[in-house]
This record gives sequence, structure tokens and C-alpha cells, in this order.
Amino acid sequence: MLLFAESSRPLRPLYRRPANFVCIALACIVGWLPACGAFAEGDPAVDYQREVRPILAGKCFTCHGPDDAAREADLRLDEATDAMHDRGGYQAIKPGDHRESEVWQRLVTDDADLRMPPADGHEPLSPAQIETLARWIDQGAKYETHWAFVPPSKPPVPTTPNAATPIDAFVNRAMIEAGLQPSPPADPYGIVRRIYLDLIGIPPTPEEADTFVADSSPLGYSRLVDSLIARPEYAERWARPWLDLARYADTNGYEKDRPRTIWPYRDWVLNAIASDMPFDQFTIRQLAGDMIPGGTDEDRIATGFHRNTMLNEEGGIDPQEYRFHAMVDRVGTTGTVWMGLTVGCAQCHTHKYDPITHTDYYAMFALLNAADEPEHEVADPEVAARREAITAEIRQREDRLIQEHLISASDAETRSDITTAFEEFVAATGAEARDWQVMVPASMESTMPTLTVQDDGSILASGDVTKREVYRLTFPPQQDGTPFTAIRLEALPDESLPAGGPGMAFYEGRRGDFFLSKLTIHIGDHASKLEKPSASYGKISIGSGSADAGNVIDGEGSTGWSTSGAEGEANRWVANFEKPFSPDSPWTVEMVFERHFAAALGRFRISLASGDEATAVAFDAATEAELVKWQGDPSLIDPSLIDALRRRFIHESDLMKEHRKAIASLRAKMPQPVRTLVMRERPTGNERVTHRYHRGEYLQPREEVAPAVPAVFAIGDGPTPTNRYQFAKWLVSDSNPMFARVTVDRAWRDLFGRGIVHTAGDYGTQSEPPSHQELLDYLATRFVSEGMSIKRLHREIVMSDAYRRSSHRRPEVLAVDPVNKLLAIGPRRRLEGERIRDAILSSSGLLAHRMGGPSVFPPQPTGVTARAYGNVKWNDSRGADRYRRSVYTYAKRTAPFAALGVFDGPTGETCLPRRDTSNSPLQALTLMNDAMFLEMAQAIADDVARQIDPHDQHATAAAIFRRLITRPPTQSEVTAIVDFHQSLDADDVSRWMLVARALMNLDEVITTP
Amino acid sequence: MIPDPLSHLTRRQLFSSCGIGVGKIALASMLAADQSYASSTTGLHHVAKAKRVIFLFMAGAPSQLDLFDYKPKLVELEGQPIPPSVIAGQRYAFIQPDAAVLSPRFKFSRHGESGAEISEILPHTAAIADDLAIIRSVHTDQFNHAPAQLLVNTGSPIPGRPAIGSWLTYGIGSEANDLPGFVVLTSGGSLSGGAAMWSAGFLPGEHQGVPFRSEGDPILHVANPPGVSQQTQRQTLDLIQQLNQDRLSVVGDPEIATRIEAYEMAYRMQSRTPELMDYAGEDAATLEMYGAEPGKPSFANNCLMARRLAERGVRFIQVYQADWDHHSNVEGGLKKQCKLTDQACAALIKDLKRRGLLEDTLVIWGGEFGRTPMVEASAALGRSGGRDHHPQAFTMWMTGGGIRTGQTIGKTDELGFHPIESPVHVHDIQATILHQLGIDHERLTFNYAGRPFRLTDIHGNVIASVVDR
Repeated sequence: MLLFAESSRPLRPLYRRPANFVCIALACIVGWLPACGAFAEGDPAVDYQREVRPILAGKCFTCHGPDDAAREADLRLDEATDAMHDRGGYQAIKPGDHRESEVWQRLVTDDADLRMPPADGHEPLSPAQIETLARWIDQGAKYETHWAFVPPSKPPVPTTPNAATPIDAFVNRAMIEAGLQPSPPADPYGIVRRIYLDLIGIPPTPEEADTFVADSSPLGYSRLVDSLIARPEYAERWARPWLDLARYADTNGYEKDRPRTIWPYRDWVLNAIASDMPFDQFTIRQLAGDMIPGGTDEDRIATGFHRNTMLNEEGGIDPQEYRFHAMVDRVGTTGTVWMGLTVGCAQCHTHKYDPITHTDYYAMFALLNAADEPEHEVADPEVAARREAITAEIRQREDRLIQEHLISASDAETRSDITTAFEEFVAATGAEARDWQVMVPASMESTMPTLTVQDDGSILASGDVTKREVYRLTFPPQQDGTPFTAIRLEALPDESLPAGGPGMAFYEGRRGDFFLSKLTIHIGDHASKLEKPSASYGKISIGSGSADAGNVIDGEGSTGWSTSGAEGEANRWVANFEKPFSPDSPWTVEMVFERHFAAALGRFRISLASGDEATAVAFDAATEAELVKWQGDPSLIDPSLIDALRRRFIHESDLMKEHRKAIASLRAKMPQPVRTLVMRERPTGNERVTHRYHRGEYLQPREEVAPAVPAVFAIGDGPTPTNRYQFAKWLVSDSNPMFARVTVDRAWRDLFGRGIVHTAGDYGTQSEPPSHQELLDYLATRFVSEGMSIKRLHREIVMSDAYRRSSHRRPEVLAVDPVNKLLAIGPRRRLEGERIRDAILSSSGLLAHRMGGPSVFPPQPTGVTARAYGNVKWNDSRGADRYRRSVYTYAKRTAPFAALGVFDGPTGETCLPRRDTSNSPLQALTLMNDAMFLEMAQAIADDVARQIDPHDQHATAAAIFRRLITRPPTQSEVTAIVDFHQSLDADDVSRWMLVARALMNLDEVITTP
Repeated sequence: MIPDPLSHLTRRQLFSSCGIGVGKIALASMLAADQSYASSTTGLHHVAKAKRVIFLFMAGAPSQLDLFDYKPKLVELEGQPIPPSVIAGQRYAFIQPDAAVLSPRFKFSRHGESGAEISEILPHTAAIADDLAIIRSVHTDQFNHAPAQLLVNTGSPIPGRPAIGSWLTYGIGSEANDLPGFVVLTSGGSLSGGAAMWSAGFLPGEHQGVPFRSEGDPILHVANPPGVSQQTQRQTLDLIQQLNQDRLSVVGDPEIATRIEAYEMAYRMQSRTPELMDYAGEDAATLEMYGAEPGKPSFANNCLMARRLAERGVRFIQVYQADWDHHSNVEGGLKKQCKLTDQACAALIKDLKRRGLLEDTLVIWGGEFGRTPMVEASAALGRSGGRDHHPQAFTMWMTGGGIRTGQTIGKTDELGFHPIESPVHVHDIQATILHQLGIDHERLTFNYAGRPFRLTDIHGNVIASVVDR
């Protein structure tokens, strides 16, 4: 709000009306204020954090808070110094006297021009809020730091009667203070179902439940908790909320939403959770696993966390704009997950409420902004062994063909057409070879990438790239030999490039693709014309155009040369000079790469040669050099060169077509290595510069910003982090007051359905005050001191009485505590879609238990993905993959799996700290009519029929009921089910299926009891 | 004084779901005893002129230069580049900014009393020219399809924000109690913006737009499974409801009551859908007017369905027609698209009008951006005679729901490049839609990630000249 009108005007006191007059005027407006005078000493103390700060933050800080740019009247009300500053005889806030405080006068004046907040669209303060501020001022206007910015210290556990655990000591104390009594423990069937669903995501079988209920040992529950936490399903249950935060998906998002491979990251999360990796390690590996000294492959795979951002592959986008958006997502997600702060608010301007400035935001941005985003080949011994075996077999077959057709058949008697053809091939190849001289540029320019000369004279591009990339290479004069007649451009593979290069394309076109639109050569300003171009290979991706070598010198920008489909391989483009080329001064080669997607060359080399007309040969440069030597003196033939010629001949000669078919089919069988998305920090000297972006807009970069954590947290000893690795370590250190609280509260929310801080993802000054702040700090400090074990934390929570209470609603409690903040009643929550499907799958006996691996495709109607861009097919998985846990379900961002989406499942578009739990008719239609669920209903009916005589209707009804709901049904429930069964107009088999289908739809099935 | 709404408020309404009944915001103000009740008819913030919206979204971006914004100067400049002063600093998707000018592909003439200038390939639209407010000065921030479509539909170029329809059902609910409050109809090819265009974003899930399938059951799983009769379905529902009711009495969780209501609504949707899909009640003249053929998915069928949904109280009906992305042969592409859409759009307006529905149904036509005055040609992509994306200026039209029609608003420069009179940003279109439904776009907000969000972000002005006073 604008507390003091017009920023240009200095704060000036109101016209001082006689005090009485003000009071009378006020009394008319706010008739409830005590008549003229400070509030009595005996008034209850006002709590700044709980009562005052929310009012100031909500009504005043927008214009009188941390944001320099939005500040009005040069007044801050978020800090005591400024608020109480003497402004020439008056103060905005005068401690001890609300009537002498300008703030209060501005709140209550009847002069509409002076009254705060300004009337234009701002909500006024309520009388009660004004009163609170007045009392706070009268009590001395004490400011306190927001609780969450103060590092937690371990509070003493209160001595509360009948508290079974420290958690209960805190919970019961608050409850007793509110005059509430706790509910009794949940019944044993309820608690066993609750703990199974919460810890492993599937319900107990009736037998498991009966065993637990029959166990009268006081340690029975504790033993059960331990055994569940140790089960592999624990990881499958708890990976899901983490993947919600990580915005995991199997596709790139945006328009085309093409598939990506990042499931190895999901496997990493599953393994880390199963092995209870300490949370600090869990964090550091995901944020900076590539930078850990001596880091492993697994550590690199973990960096997929921030590769889960979306990738826009729409033709025509500006790729750097979407990299910027991905970075914005990374900063926001990091803030939400480890800082509990909505730092995203500071993307466009200094945070209105929390102490995060606009520059702080981009300083955090800079911490994360120094990485490249490559793929990492996942070491898979199985794949490697198969590749090796196939390669060896191909080699053997080649050897056999060489032996049979080229060696054995080389003497006079056995000569054949093939032998003759090979000799011709050798002769022609030898004649084509030229003595190329590699040219090393003296200087290089590009539109965006960094170009560096490699040892072999090739040039490697790295870093970011644009849609229209121009490389300009300047070479030193060359005039000491014979004039040159031809130029060769080698497009070379490199491991650092997408798909191994040679190009830098990473979206829309084939990965590793390039598109050379133009190549021109100048000596000074004089153009040296080229002619008779050739290429060793050419093909373009996306589009119907040609990839002829001549496109490069045809003067037409929309044509070009490309080697699409030959990723990871070298190819060559050659052209001849119209006139001999003998540069006596520096000369330049300019290459333009221009398509609707970024398609610059990633690694290449320029060479010149003299002699007859040159063409691009089928051999790499090294072999060509050997060929040249051989031309000079046949006795110098290197055996490896002969071998290379023979193999090339086998793969090129028309005469060998039939013979090499078996090799081609072997090649087709070659398993592709799995490559997962990772982060890789750029080397020193090649850092990306981060700017502050005015209004958060990509097109408005301003001054450079150095990497740092937000100033408000840069306290304590030690240097402030300046790179991603240090930042990751900082996030889980004592210097960050937030992460432990946020982490324990996340576990609390997942188990109680409501966090100690209700505003998930936001613990800043706008957040709802914690319902149990000391409990939060107790859990947070213990979490750290006990080694950051999530399993221990879960165990501690579920061992509390608070967790184990009956969830039956009690009106007398809800009258006092309508949302059950104080936990007098046990938690009762609708399950999310994954647990609904998994629970019913498990009840049906269909659930397949295989852990990890690529995503699977459970059945869903074809129309769901057909609506997505490109009419995408959804091929239902066959066999066990049809029945895997839902965490493995293929996550397509623009068409989420329907049965999960309808239950508020995530799209993977943004970090999701808390899921919605809507309750809609479309959910009813899904559970009643989706063929996937009907298949499960049939399985339940069939399985029960194998165990119980279907004619025993009561027993069958009870058995189906118990599989789905765990507890034994009541007599009247059995009667209702049997009556339903009998009333159906269907055969026996279908009737029990219909019973199972009906019971699957009960509220109890999709809710924790 | 409006009668006390709480006296009419049943438990069921309180538990309303799927955008049915009063919206969450309206409900909140009803429950706040010191505030007056704002229903969807009186408007949330002011008197509403419209009760529902039909948005005819032409995805891919039609060429305004060949349909509504006639520029004779382009004929004169055909084949020459645009002056560098105009194109400096502009970003394009496919072409280089110095591409040559392409003249209008069709003849234009003036229509109706308002004299609106409309292309010859929109004869049906031209015939209802006086019923339209044509805005030739719309502009947007985005120059690629997905972000630009999302910007129009959700107010943000990045997926994850609530759609206009979601904001509406969240704010003022829906009048249909047997159909979703926000329905999506699609025809043509793929939509770049995808499902994010009808996402509820961070709003509660029930405000998600429900895409109707053009073949088979319109709503996913709305039909009973094979072999399950309507009677069996009812019996099944009765058992579910009875057992849930029993459980409610034991557990006392109001969520169970909500679930019972959701199942009843699901059953009503199941019962209502066959009637909705049955075009038997439509006379031959009506079908002919639209060019609709029952059972054959088409834009024309969707327009007729939009009217049927409007009649049944659906709050927001989003009709998408894809395939307007004419990078090559804009002339041929437009001929084809106009043939598919022109007649049905005009028929919808005429049909709504004769049924008295137009006065409180706001209809909007338009795409995500315009197309360049320059030609697009590319050997690599095999393109010629096309136009690239042009966010700087394009045309939309509005009608019904209190819109001042019979006028053309805004003007572009002689190249059709930039608006030079009354520029209208897509956020202004959104502000105007909300305004007509009685909502102040600056006041319909939702707190998420630490701050209040709204459809128009921090932008948007109601377009004063189209709003009837």
C-alpha cells in the first residue's frame, strides 16, 4: 500500500488538528477504539510475528517494504530504524504512543487524500487490525526478525502429562491449552491400513492386517513400522513426493513435448531413498554431483534434478529465451525446496515481503548458471557387453568377406569381378586423395559460442548458441608455397556435443545436427570464389530440402549442407577455388549457420590443398593422408590402410550388396546406450555471465551480477558460496536456517495432510504462522543432529500418538479448531492418484513388483494422448509392465496419464510442494468406468473365487471388501453387498466383478483411514 | 436489497464441485456476513453483461492482412523489403526481417451499415458485420505458437497458469449442474499450447477445462462400461452411496458428503450426455446453416455444440480450430480454413441471436498472433508464398454479452506492421472478458507461491470502446 501519498513529496506531518477533534472524527469511523489515550498497561501483549507483521506485510510493505524501486515517501516500515527515524519533529512510528505516530494518524484520518492505504483498489485495514497496530505501538513497537530467518535452536521438550513421545509433549501441550482432549487411538485395522499406505503406498493384505491385529505385544506396532520402512516399496512410495518437487517427466514439455530419457535420475532417487542417503548428501549430489571431487557416475546422474526443466522445441523459438525460463524455474525450485521461500517473486522486482532483493535473485541465478547441459551415458554392463559382442561379430563377418572375396580370390585363378572392382576402387581412391594442409586460425569470432583451437588444429565450439550463428575465422597469410586450389571443411564428432556432434543442435532438429548455409572466403575485402563443391555425405533433418554440397555457395540463405543421421561421425565438404588461392595478407573464412533452430557446427577443421580438382573422399583425414603417402611410394603401404580400404570397399561396392546384408542387420540390432540428462559445470575461463533482468524480462538484461546467496543469509563465518557446489553445501549447512525446517515439515505434511506451516513452499513473512513452532524446531534440530536420516524422521513421526489417533471427526473439537490444526483428531486424507491406483492394483493381486527402469504404459483410452501435439500414440504395456507401481508410469507433460491427472496428479511443469485434493465427478467416472480399473475389479473377483466358494455369498462379499478396505465389514455392509449382488441382472462371474467395482468406489478405498 | 443468500444455501451447494453452482470466490463473499452477496448474474464486482463465453480460437494464427486488415500499400511494395527502420530489432520465427513484401491475397470490400472492411473469403462473416466489434490493433508479446497461445488462454506464456475458463468457474461457478462448467471442443490438427491451455494451473483441480472428445463419448469414461446397463449403474451407485453414507455417519468427515454429491453429479452427467449429443432436435435448416453433419467431427459441429452447451448453462466454452499456421501458400491455406469456419462462425452468432442467447453470451474470435506483411520462403523447408508469425498486430472480433458491435476499432500503419491507433494487448482482451462477466480483473486473485496471481498478471485494461455502458 501507499502509506504516504506521492513518492516525490517528502513525508510531512498531517495538519495537526486538536487532539480531541481527531479522536471524535475517529470515533465516528472506528467507534470501538478506546477514547483518546494509550492502551492500558494491562492489555495482552501483542505478538509482532503473529499479529503485527502479517498486517504490515499485507497492507504496507508493497510500497514501504524491502523493494527500493517501489518504495514511496522514502519510508520503510519493515525495519525499526527507518520507521522510528526522526523526520523533523515527528516519526512514522513513535514507540509508546500510537497517537503521535504518523502511521496511525494516516490510517484513521478522514481526509481521503491522506488516508492509507490509498483508496484506489487497496483494501483498507479492518478496525481490529488498526487496533492491533495501535496496541503494538503503545507497547513499544518491538520489531522481531521473522521466525524462519532465525536458525532453529533445540527447544526443551515440555513436561506434558501422558505424552508418549516428545512430539506428543509439544502437540498435547498446545491441545490442552486450547481446552481440547485427544481422540483415542485408531482401531487396529484402521492403524494398520494407515501405516501401510503411508509408509509403502499399498494396503496390507487381510492376512497381514489380521497378524498385526492379533499381535498383542506392545512392540508390535514398532516392529511393523521398522519392517515397512525396510521394504523396497518404501522407496517407491516416497520417491513420488520428491519427484513432484523435482518436476520429473518423461517428455520435454511445451508444444512438441517430445520424449526425453531421464529415468536413470528417477532410479537414482529410488536408490537414494531406499538406502536412506543422508539428506545433505542427497541434496549435494542432485544439485552439484558433477562438481564433487572424485564424484562417481551415479553422482552425475543425480544432477538430473535440475535437468527436469522443460525444453521448448517449437520451430522458430529463441533457444536462449527458453534457457532463461529454465533457469528461472531452477532458481524458484531451489528456493522452494531448500529455502522454503518464494524467491521467484524477486525475478521481476525486489520481493515485496521477504528480504530478497532483485539483485539477490540474480545472484542466486548466477550460482546455478555456470553449467552446460549435456547427456551422460549411463554405464550399463549389459548394454556394453551386447555392443561389444555385436561389434566383434560384425568384425568377424567383415574379416570373412575380406578373406573370401579379396584375399583368397587375389591370385590369377580365383580372381573375380569383385577383385577387379576392388583394385579399381583402390586406384580411384588413391587418385582422389590430396595432401591437405590444416590451417589454424589466428583469431575467431562467433555470434555466441566460445571457439577454441584443439591440438589437431580443429576448432571446438562450446557454450550457448543462437539460431543464426556466424563464425568468422581469420588466418595468417600463406604465400611461401604453391598456390592452393581447394578448401576442405571437416565436420568432426566430439563427445562434448549433443549426440557426439558434429553439430550443436539440441532441440527441434536431430541432436548433434548442423546446417551450413554459407561459406565465403575473403582476402581482405576481396572475395575468393569457390566452385565444384562436393561432400562425403549430406542429408537434412526437418524439411524436404536437399543437403547438396553446392547449397553452401549458391548465395541462397535457406539452403545448406548438413549431415543429419551421421551423428558421431566425421564428414567432409570440399570446394575448389575458381582462381589459385595465394593469400599474401590475412584471409578469412566466414560460415553462416541459419535454420529455424540453432544448428551451428560444434567441431570442425579447415584445410587447403594444391593440385587437380579435389573432391570429398569417403575416408577420414588421417586415412586420406595415408593414401597420399602411398601414392608417392607404393612400397610404403601401411597394412592398416589396406585393411581400411578393404572394409570401406565391403560397405560401398554394389558388388558386395548381398554379402553385407547380414552385417547391416547386425548393426540394426546394436543396442543404443542410455543417455540421461545431466549438468556439467563449465571450465574456468568459460563462465556464463549473469545479468539482472529488468522486470524479469529476458529481453531486458541490465548490469552483471556475481554469484552469491541472498544477502540476508550471508551471515556467520566462512566465505559465501560462489559456485553451484558450494551453494549446494551451503543449502544444507547451519548457515541456511530454512532447509531442516522445510524438510521435516514436508514429512509432517505428507503424513498428516497438513504441514506445521500450512503454506507449503512458503515459510517467508507471508506464510501462515506455524501451528507448533517449537515442535518444528525440535524436529529440525534433531533431524540435523541425528544425521539427516529421512527414515528416522518418518519413524519418529509415525511412532507418535498424534499420528496414531482415530480420525473420526468430533464436532466439539472442530467447533474450536475447524481444520484440526492442533491434531486432536487423527489424519484422514484422500490418497493421491498414484496410491489409489497402486492400492487397488495391490488389492487385485495384479501389482508387479519389479523396481526401477524405464517408464511404463498402463492401459488408458487412446484419445488421451491423441489430443496432444502430433496425435501421439499410447501403446499399452504388455505383461508385468502393465501393473507396475504408478511412479513408473510414463509422464507426458501435455497429456498426463488420465487416471492420475484426474486425481490432481502433477504435469511436471513446475515444482509442486503440495498437491491439491479435489473431489470431482470426473474422479467418480474414472473409478467407475475406466477399463483399467475394471480389469482390476475382474481380477479381484477371480482371485477371491479361487479362494472362496462363490456360492458362499457372505464370505465372498466380505473377502472382496477386506481386500479393498482391510477392516472386516459390518453385518449391515455385508447384507447391502449381498442384496446388491442378488439384484443384479448378470451372470455370476460378472456379478462379483460388479461388486468389486462398486466397492472400489467407496470413499474408504481412496482415503487413509 | 438482495435477499439473504445464505437462506438458500444448501449443504450441497456448499460442497459444490466441478465448477458447479456458485464459485469459490462468490461463495466466500456470501459467507462473509458483512459483505453483500454477489451472484453470477449480479456479477462478482459489478453488474454482469454476459453470463457465459464462447471463445472461437483460431489456433495457428490467421493472416489478418488477408482477412480483416486491408493494406493497399503492400500491393505497391510487393517484392521489396520492408524499410529497415520498421524491422530493426524485431525477432522472427523463421524468416529474416528483410524478406520481401507479400501483397494481400484477396479482394476486400465494405459491409453492413458499419462499413467494415472484410475479405472476400469471409462472405458469411461479412454478412453479420454489423453484429461484430472488429479489433484490428491487437498485439501480443510472444512470437511462437505455444507461448502465444498460452498467453491468450492463461495470461502467461509458460505452462502452469489457470485458463480463463478456470478463473471464471473459480470466481463465479457455473449454472450447469449436470455438465462441467468449462468445456473444450477441438477440431483440426494439433494444438501447440496443448492441455496447458485448459489447465486449472494452481487453482483447485475441479476448475480444469474438460475436453470433449469429438468421437465416441464426449467426456472420458462418461459411458457405462460394455455390459453395464443404466439400471446396473444406478444400482451400483445406490450401493456406493449407501455405504458411503453409512461411513459418513461413523466418521463424520464432510469430504465423504462431497464425494456422495460428486457421484450424483457424475451420474447426472452420464444421464445428460446422450441428450446433449443427440442432434435429433435440431431441424434441417439449423444443421444446414452451420454446415454441421451429425456424427461427423468438424468445426461446424463444434459451433453447434457450443450453442447447445451455452443453452445448458456451461460457463466457458472454448472452441479450438487448428491449422491456421500458413508458413507456405497462405492463399490456399486461408481458402481451406475459411471454408471450414466462416459459415459456422456466422451461423453460431445468428443462432444465438434468434434464440435470445447472444445478449448474455460473449463470443470472441481470434488467434494467438498475426502474420507478417513479408513473405516466407525456404528451400530447406520447402516453403513458398507464406507468411511468418507477427506478434506486433493482428485482428480479433467480439460480439454479444454487452459488446458494442457495428464498429471497427484500432488501426495499423500502412504496412499493417504496428498498431497506430487504440492498441489492444491480449491482456486487455482478457480484462474485457472478465469485465463483461461482472469481474474486475484486478480483484479476482489467488494466492500462490507467496503472492496473489491474476489472469492478467500485472497488466490489462478493459477496452472501453467495446464495453457497452
